[in-house]
Amino acid sequence: MTRTVWRHVRLAFFLGGVGLHRLSAYRVDFVLGAGAFLVRVGLQTAVVGLVFRQVPAVGGWTYHEVLFLLGFSLLPRGLDHLFTDQLWELGRKLVQRGEFYRYLVRPVNPLFSLLSERFFHPDGLGELAVGAVLVGWSGNELGLRPTPLQWAVVPLLVLCGALIHTSVKLLFASLSFWTVTSLPSMYAASQVSEFAAYPLDIYHPSLRFLLTWVLPFAFTSYVPCVYLLTGATGLVVWLPLVTAGAFVLALTVWRRGVNAYEMTGS
Amino acid sequence: MSGVDVPEREGTPRPSPAARVRHYLPFATGGLQSLLRYRSTFVTTGVTAAAGAAVTVFLWRAVYAGSPPGGGPGGFTPEGITTYLLMAQVLQVLHANRVDDEVAAEVYRGDVAVMLVRPVSYPVVRFFACLPVVAANAVLVGVPVLALFALIVPLTVPRPVDVALFLVSTALSVLLAFLVNLLTGMTGFVTTNTWGVRMVKQSVVAFFAGQLVPLALMPGPLAAVASALPFRGMVDGPLTLLLGRYDGVAGAADVLARQIGWAAGLTLLGAVLWRASLSRLEVLGG
Amino acid sequence: MIVAENLVKEFRLTERKPGLVGSLSTLFTREHRIVRAVDGVSFTIPAGSKTAYIGANGAGKSTTIKMLTGIMTPTGGRCLVRGIEPYRHRQANARSIGVVFGQRSQLWWDLSVPDSFRILRRIYDVPDPVYRRNLALYRDLLDIDALGTTPVRQLSLGQRMRAEIAASLLHDPAVVFWDEPTIGLDMVLKDAVRHLVNHVHRELGTTVVLTSHDIADIAAICDSALVVDRGRVVHQGSIRDLLRTAERRSVVFDHRGGPDPGHACARIEQELPGVSASPAEDGRIKVDYPVDRFTSRQVLAFLLERFDLADCYAPEPDLEDVLRRIYAGGSRSPLAAGVAGPGQGGAA
Repeated sequence: MTRTVWRHVRLAFFLGGVGLHRLSAYRVDFVLGAGAFLVRVGLQTAVVGLVFRQVPAVGGWTYHEVLFLLGFSLLPRGLDHLFTDQLWELGRKLVQRGEFYRYLVRPVNPLFSLLSERFFHPDGLGELAVGAVLVGWSGNELGLRPTPLQWAVVPLLVLCGALIHTSVKLLFASLSFWTVTSLPSMYAASQVSEFAAYPLDIYHPSLRFLLTWVLPFAFTSYVPCVYLLTGATGLVVWLPLVTAGAFVLALTVWRRGVNAYEMTGS
Repeated sequence: MSGVDVPEREGTPRPSPAARVRHYLPFATGGLQSLLRYRSTFVTTGVTAAAGAAVTVFLWRAVYAGSPPGGGPGGFTPEGITTYLLMAQVLQVLHANRVDDEVAAEVYRGDVAVMLVRPVSYPVVRFFACLPVVAANAVLVGVPVLALFALIVPLTVPRPVDVALFLVSTALSVLLAFLVNLLTGMTGFVTTNTWGVRMVKQSVVAFFAGQLVPLALMPGPLAAVASALPFRGMVDGPLTLLLGRYDGVAGAADVLARQIGWAAGLTLLGAVLWRASLSRLEVLGG
Repeated sequence: MIVAENLVKEFRLTERKPGLVGSLSTLFTREHRIVRAVDGVSFTIPAGSKTAYIGANGAGKSTTIKMLTGIMTPTGGRCLVRGIEPYRHRQANARSIGVVFGQRSQLWWDLSVPDSFRILRRIYDVPDPVYRRNLALYRDLLDIDALGTTPVRQLSLGQRMRAEIAASLLHDPAVVFWDEPTIGLDMVLKDAVRHLVNHVHRELGTTVVLTSHDIADIAAICDSALVVDRGRVVHQGSIRDLLRTAERRSVVFDHRGGPDPGHACARIEQELPGVSASPAEDGRIKVDYPVDRFTSRQVLAFLLERFDLADCYAPEPDLEDVLRRIYAGGSRSPLAAGVAGPGQGGAA
């Protein structure tokens, strides 16, 4: 068991190296992808700026607090993006074109094999960098002084958030084993994750419930930010449980999907 | 191969307009058929649209929560801004014609070369193929999303004349969206990462069309930039008409004239670039 | 050793109606149809054999191979590859098998072939000496170096197939499953691939399971055949036994003196009804006879008696003809009653 894990870790490092190597081979693509991402976040920040031209606070959140939230939401998203982008290919075409089989004929875990084809997706690096800058800057403007405990749990908060993103993506990508392509539903789920960039307080109660307990994107940014900004522990204690639940559910669906896989074509 | 075909195609006598449209009808029904194959597409497009609308609607409703009854920033009432943002999302659904996606993919795979041997114009084929997609999205996604929000948030009821103007303007916005997406897809001739290009397009269009922030709420210089771009005619233009935020007949005519002007300009640009791309295709050997 | 016991695979197909109205109606209703692609197939493939898995399109051969490689789970029955149920223990199975699906790549699309090989070497833990030995072999036989650093997606089908075949053998698998491996290859490369697999089989005792539409591949590589028709096994045994089931044999001869080939043919056909004779190249004559009416002995005796034979040989029956007959009417085949053992077949 430990040997298998250790083998996969070594492989992950090797394949990560291959991924970085590929970045240098596709430099223009990298620049375009990163540039596109900067434009997107830039305009998103501009929208927040325009909102706060009209009012000093939205749903009880100030300009810098909302920017902090926006920046923090990029961290788990970026970390997830860095490693699991190949799931989009699964939802888009791997089942449809009968290409998924190749992960089943290799002597490594099929999920690992799938993800490893695109380790270190450059967009993830962009998101992590921009998110860190936004969090750092707005945190400084707010005069935020985190306690040692808060400093210590930040990596865990980001990691759990990333796992929630991964779980939702994996769940919807796995639907393609039955529906051939699940890109639209993956896209819809990722669209829902956009809610996480703004304070939950502004939404309709039904939407708040959805984001907290159904597609738990609130736990990727809003819940950790409330804790970091105010120190209130309210929902954040549920984070490990929600993460574990989402991950187990997604893995179960994935496993069943793999077993139901029918390679199309002759 | 295109080098041989293009002159030949132009040399044949031109059939009557009706006959020419008939040539393209199979592409229209074909586009709808391939779309209907995945009925889940509509459900998920609807969820995506509803989610997108909810983000902006609730964000701006929070801003207008304490505004005076006569109207808050930019002269919008809470109902007015809600209607604006919701309809902006519905328009965006009409503009999601997937032309950028498909053109880019066909250019990348070299399938465009195959299209060139058919006696029809590729961009026109694409236009006809996207029309039923637009219609299906309007009926199966736009109307339900609108109905859903009408249940949970108050909306304004527009005057009939404004609705008529809005429908004309919406038709033009669909044409503009097609042209913008066609040009975006054609970047496939110069780069393989059309994904990045499409993401930039999507963000820039959403912002400068006024889908996220109405132009009236932008600071002067930014509003000036947005007015000067063609994207304004895709969302802010039609909604200006729908909400009656224009100055008499002249104001309405101005909005429509700008849309027509941009549609003509982008058609010309598209035609020129398409020809240039074809000659490039020949150089690359298809 | 590979065993299939009563293997069944069923698919659920969605019926789509043609035309626009049909598409609209599938929006609201869906009809399903169950298709049985593999219908209770049982067989045993001995270790170290080179078996051609033969069947017409839609005979269920690809589906069977997908179950043997662990890609699909059977609806019923089970199969074992080296004592492992592949779809239950995919990773363990994957370690000892090599796979090529001619239609679909398993290489890294945007990496070069050498980069793909480096990754495979890590994934399969290929020891250094094995890796070096195999690369040298591919260099000699497949000219793999000529593929250079081009990304796989830019390779031609023939170039890609060379890389796929090499990739499937890189880790010295005990069993290789090749589904249409020579698709897109020219004659020279086909020969090289056949040579490679025979070499690997000789050196390592690799078990080879092959499907191909190219009869020449089967003839050049395989020593035994497993013929499936409509999801059931209709023949299992050596290729030689399969050939023995041919309904017609032929013999080619060269003779001195008269009569000239034209007259000779006419005379043979006249005196042996049901036999066809035709002039072959260099003045030779080819005689085709149905085995249910004449034994080889009778035909040869006739020829020896009537002609002054200078040279005479009997070519192997045409495998393609044999297979065509099996595909065309499985039920009329003498083998349809069951699995044929050695010795069964026409006159020897």
